[in-house]
Amino acid sequence: MTNNSTHFSSRRLGLVITFGLTALAMLYLSYSLPRLLPGDFVTAMYASSQVTLTAEQEAELRAYYTEEPGFCSYLLRLFTLDWGYSYAFLTPVSVLFLEALPWTMLLLGAAHIISMSLGFITGVEASWRHGSRIEKGMVGGMTFLEGIPEISTGIILLLLFALNLQWFPAVGAETAYAEVSLLTRLADIGLHLTLPLATLVLAYLPGNFLLTRNSMIMVIREPFVTTARAKGLPALRIRYSHAARNALLPLVTRFGLRLAFMITGVLVVERIHSYPGLGTLLFNAIQARDLPVIQAVVLISSLMVLTIILILEMLYRIIDPRIDYVR
Amino acid sequence: MCADLRRYLFHDPWFAAGFVLAVMFTVVVVLGPALAPFDPWDMSFAPISPPSAKHFLGINDGGQDIFSELLFAVRNTVVFGLTSGIIALCVGVAVGLIAGWYGGFVDMILMRVADILLAIPAIMILILTAALFRPSPWILALILAGMMWPTISKAVRAQTLSLHESLHVKAAAQIGGGNLYIIRRHLLPGMFPLYLIGFAAKARMAMFMEASLAFLGLFDPSRKSLGMMIGYAVKYYYLNIWWNWLLPPIVCLSLLIMSVTFLAISLEKVLDPRLKNSLG
Repeated sequence: MTNNSTHFSSRRLGLVITFGLTALAMLYLSYSLPRLLPGDFVTAMYASSQVTLTAEQEAELRAYYTEEPGFCSYLLRLFTLDWGYSYAFLTPVSVLFLEALPWTMLLLGAAHIISMSLGFITGVEASWRHGSRIEKGMVGGMTFLEGIPEISTGIILLLLFALNLQWFPAVGAETAYAEVSLLTRLADIGLHLTLPLATLVLAYLPGNFLLTRNSMIMVIREPFVTTARAKGLPALRIRYSHAARNALLPLVTRFGLRLAFMITGVLVVERIHSYPGLGTLLFNAIQARDLPVIQAVVLISSLMVLTIILILEMLYRIIDPRIDYVR
Repeated sequence: MCADLRRYLFHDPWFAAGFVLAVMFTVVVVLGPALAPFDPWDMSFAPISPPSAKHFLGINDGGQDIFSELLFAVRNTVVFGLTSGIIALCVGVAVGLIAGWYGGFVDMILMRVADILLAIPAIMILILTAALFRPSPWILALILAGMMWPTISKAVRAQTLSLHESLHVKAAAQIGGGNLYIIRRHLLPGMFPLYLIGFAAKARMAMFMEASLAFLGLFDPSRKSLGMMIGYAVKYYYLNIWWNWLLPPIVCLSLLIMSVTFLAISLEKVLDPRLKNSLG
């Protein structure tokens, strides 16, 4: 028993150390890459931007960027939210970032919760009807959906529901300058959220559905499901409290793996619907060649993804202790 | 086994659909420049004109023929995806074989590296390098491949571990086959289905990434790409020209992604031994 638990914690410690080193490597990368640029940073940044600098400003900037803060003070700056100053938006980068972050989290969080629960339930129901016409139709529809990228879904929804039918607003996260009560404001936010959320759900749902269905089909053949049936348990109970629990695991395990890739979709969808999250901020920064903003958004959001994946790793080691011994 | 496989695959309507689409895109990619009626960089036409007999899809805001642009864009996106997919496949297979066959310390280090790469959002690294250095698409494809190989190598490694214990591999080692000989003659050909699945999945990911990066405006603006065309056209979505300007690149991109997705899903379904009995 003691042997087991030490084995356990050393594995977890290894995991934390690996992720810590990864974070450090990424920090170092974002510290050193701009310094690897040919020529000097100021020319590289401002030559291609729409700003013209006076000689005095240029000298000051040059002094600022050649002071070589060293990696440690760079880290210190990072932790004190001193991420530099955006010259396109004329605001500290941290302010821009923290303004945009809640919208992205709302969008991404809601999209994942809805697509996972919906995908799980439909997947379980489909596999229970394995071989029937409904199941084949669902699998077909989901496979088809899986083939449509977020860019296309987003634009089609935008053209259809915002432009032609005018059911939903085309841009923004809420109506600007509207002085309204909290309840109307929430409804307004919900209305603005619908289209980007629907796009993301349509993009994430098929993966969750197909994964659940495939693992459920395997689980249903296990002897313990037959036992449960022989005991005369109600079908709903067999499906969810016996079989589906085991199909839930791969869904959670795969989530961490797919998260790093799925970030791409959010950037694009936010841009299409002009949703004021990190994706739009990043897009605007790219358009204006605003390097401090690009750098901060890239670094901080990658670190956040890393943290979420680490937490998930820990979490499903608790849900399924077998993982610790398989590898 | 091979003929059996072909029969299996073409019985799957998804595979057939994906295959037909893939053949169509191959034709466009190979013959694209010859099929294009105009030079896609020629800006001498009347901007934003509707389709006519001469210009099938009309002219964009820069005075360029949209149909010609489309042909070149498909070509760029496909080539990017295939390049990145092939590199990722080669690296993934090599790393998976080495980690699975040699095991021990080598295995541990390689798999840790794979774990790390899986946790880093590839798009962020691509955006950072693209924004700072503006490298050529080839470099970006290479970087993307460098971030994508871990899933392939994990699958290959798992399969190598089980082949390690199989009789024919043990026999080969017993009669004195060297490491390289066994890897080349017994392990490499034994996992053929895995390569197809991995390659289709990675090519899909890379094409999606290319479209997203181009959409966000991170490529050289003179390089034609489906994502870039969508990015420019979406600015004018409220004009009544979306159906000839915005829709074609969207449909092309969707068909392209669909083609690889259908191939990947149906290959996985037919070739994954665990799912084989559930084909139904």
